Amino acid sequence: MAATDRFDAIVIGSGVSGGWAAKELTEKGLRVLMVDRGRMVEHGEDYPYDGKPAFEIPARNRMPAAFTKSDYKGLNFWVQPANQPFFTNDRLNPYDFDAPNPFHWVRGGVVGGKSLTWGRWSFRWGPNDFEANQREGIGTDWPIRYDDVAPWYSYVEKYIGVSGGRENLDYLPDSEFMPPFPMNVAEKWLKERLETEFPGRKLINARLSNITEDKPEQNRTRCQKRAQCDRGCSFGAYFSTQAVTLPAARATGRLTLRPDTWATNVEYDAAKKRVTGVRLVNANTGAVEVVPARMVFLCASAMGSLHVLLNSRPEGSERSHFHSNGALGSAVMDHIFKVNIGGDVPGMTEFVEYGRRPGGVYVPRFRNLKAEELPFKRGYGYQGGASRRQPAPEGFGAAMKHGMRTYGGWRFNMSAFGECLPYDDNRVMLNFAKKDARGMPLLRFDVTFRDNELKMMDDAQAEGERMLRQAGLTNVTSNRGTHIPGEAIHEMGGARMGRDPGTSVLNGFNQAHDAANLFVTDGAMMASVSCVNPSLTFMAMTARAADHAVKQMKAGTI
Amino acid sequence: MDQGGTMAAEPSAHFSLDRRTALAGIAGVFGASLFAPLARAAGYEPIPKINTGKPAVVFTPAQRALVAALSERIMPTTDTPGAIAAGVPDYIEHMMGDWAVSDDRDLILGGLAAIDARSMADFQKPALKASSAQQDALLTLTMNDAIPGGAKFFEAFRQLVLTGYFTSEVGIMQERSYLPVPGDYDGAYPASKIDRIFSS
Repeated sequence: MAATDRFDAIVIGSGVSGGWAAKELTEKGLRVLMVDRGRMVEHGEDYPYDGKPAFEIPARNRMPAAFTKSDYKGLNFWVQPANQPFFTNDRLNPYDFDAPNPFHWVRGGVVGGKSLTWGRWSFRWGPNDFEANQREGIGTDWPIRYDDVAPWYSYVEKYIGVSGGRENLDYLPDSEFMPPFPMNVAEKWLKERLETEFPGRKLINARLSNITEDKPEQNRTRCQKRAQCDRGCSFGAYFSTQAVTLPAARATGRLTLRPDTWATNVEYDAAKKRVTGVRLVNANTGAVEVVPARMVFLCASAMGSLHVLLNSRPEGSERSHFHSNGALGSAVMDHIFKVNIGGDVPGMTEFVEYGRRPGGVYVPRFRNLKAEELPFKRGYGYQGGASRRQPAPEGFGAAMKHGMRTYGGWRFNMSAFGECLPYDDNRVMLNFAKKDARGMPLLRFDVTFRDNELKMMDDAQAEGERMLRQAGLTNVTSNRGTHIPGEAIHEMGGARMGRDPGTSVLNGFNQAHDAANLFVTDGAMMASVSCVNPSLTFMAMTARAADHAVKQMKAGTI
Repeated sequence: MDQGGTMAAEPSAHFSLDRRTALAGIAGVFGASLFAPLARAAGYEPIPKINTGKPAVVFTPAQRALVAALSERIMPTTDTPGAIAAGVPDYIEHMMGDWAVSDDRDLILGGLAAIDARSMADFQKPALKASSAQQDALLTLTMNDAIPGGAKFFEAFRQLVLTGYFTSEVGIMQERSYLPVPGDYDGAYPASKIDRIFSS
């Protein structure tokens, strides 16, 4: 590709947000270049472990601990030999923090980004999520409200397919649902008990981007209940760039996709307050070129986009073009995580599960929905499910072997995800003393959980135990691990949307205050993080921003 | 692929089996005493590759034969094949040679030596030459910690055998029932309809 080629738009990153940007912009007639630093992964043909039993996967799909420690430290136990090819290698792509305050930055490493390996839980945020900052005087107010996003939720949900059950909860709006994955007999029992014992609290079906009805027009087949999504799914049964947005963008004939291409910064014309192009480094050859474009969509993952923005600097300066007000890089958030509760469900051993669902059940937020005297703000929900226990070995020999041919009883386990508040001094920045192979200063994290997050974790553990006990579960146990920020892999914020250009980076259409033709539509945009999973909101906001951007471009204003 | 009971609370087995509960599937089975499957560092490669070829040689021929014999006593051939037919000894050597660090190796090698020493004392022959009943007696002593370091070795060795077995073709396809593409989900499937539990 010659540097003189011109594109209407460059999309940096090809994950959940980047894929949606490419689809929307090309379908609206723009010629788009989408770049990703990772190698190409084609749908189906580059899923080497799709459908493979353990004995056909290296090390029987158990990641050797020394390998995790040496190369994938930030991924902890997420990484397995079958999904490792989709992740970024931490040793070769370091980031920086002070030892007392570590951060775990889990990064996709291929085209499709984390859309290949994500958890697939898909929720709308509710009106409350967009209003709480203003009402409570925390952080900065969102420039938009639920009603601004609702039609775009519908738009993306109809396209990708979201399974779930209608509940009519004002704090967790329903999506345009396909039928849910059914609850099993133990979960149905628990639902009735829990909702009786705790009026107002609910146990509902998971809401998942795994489809329960075929989408033949997209060459996608409904979920086959294999529960091995993160190896890539040849059925296209869950949302990924490969299965959903990339085919749509390619079908327009207007997409150029360049894998193995790092974007180090955007080029900026300070006089005109416009970005003029993107500086790209070929990951294989090191060749550098600046590709001009009328518009840039930055979708490099929340922290990845902050890295690019922070590194977009005037010659000789350590200060980003977009750091005019000090907001860039501040108020980085994650969800609380690492609180787990479990209990035995009595009886029903005449039933087992056939098939493996990609998700189970959800206990939506019940804290601080109305005025409550609690020692923390906001709330949390639990994701969980019941299954028959695997049999434990006793002794050895034929008796042990044959004793392991029946399941144990039903066990229900759940884990909390909760909202973290925006603190301006939870920041990322560049460390100019350390540079990566492309000469980019390393991204440095200074992010900690505070009193509100720790008290929320206390409450999630205590309430979780109380609910399961009171609902009639036995042998209720819980644990709470040390939560290193980033471990929930819901890191967000740092380039928040806001009404006030003095305290935010983006306006109500994800448009940079300092550059009308620069849009940031991944998790970096968040002014607060709700307690539900964010990816569906990335999709809706990206589609909304693309619509706005193309209208502005056609109107000649950008 | 789980072999044990999941007594402790853990990331739930259903909110995402593949990513969120990688820990549940492994650590949850054996609790805190997980015998870590570890790798040799392959520092000369940009990203280490997990060896899937022949295992690096760790055992002497006599040790290898004893590992095979003890594996088979733990997971014997009954109406389905046992550990040897499932390739468990080869798996264990892979674990020790390619996917483990020396601490783990020392525990296994030390346990084998202790069993051999007890066999010499009790039966005047190495454990490999002992009868099946004598090998079972040695394993029982080991399990009950009546041999120095026995219980620790037994737990680690049994984990290796069970993990190797239930992730093998025999374990997945014959000892358990394999559903590569279930197609549907039934959360109230009659237990009476299955005579083998499902491979996970």
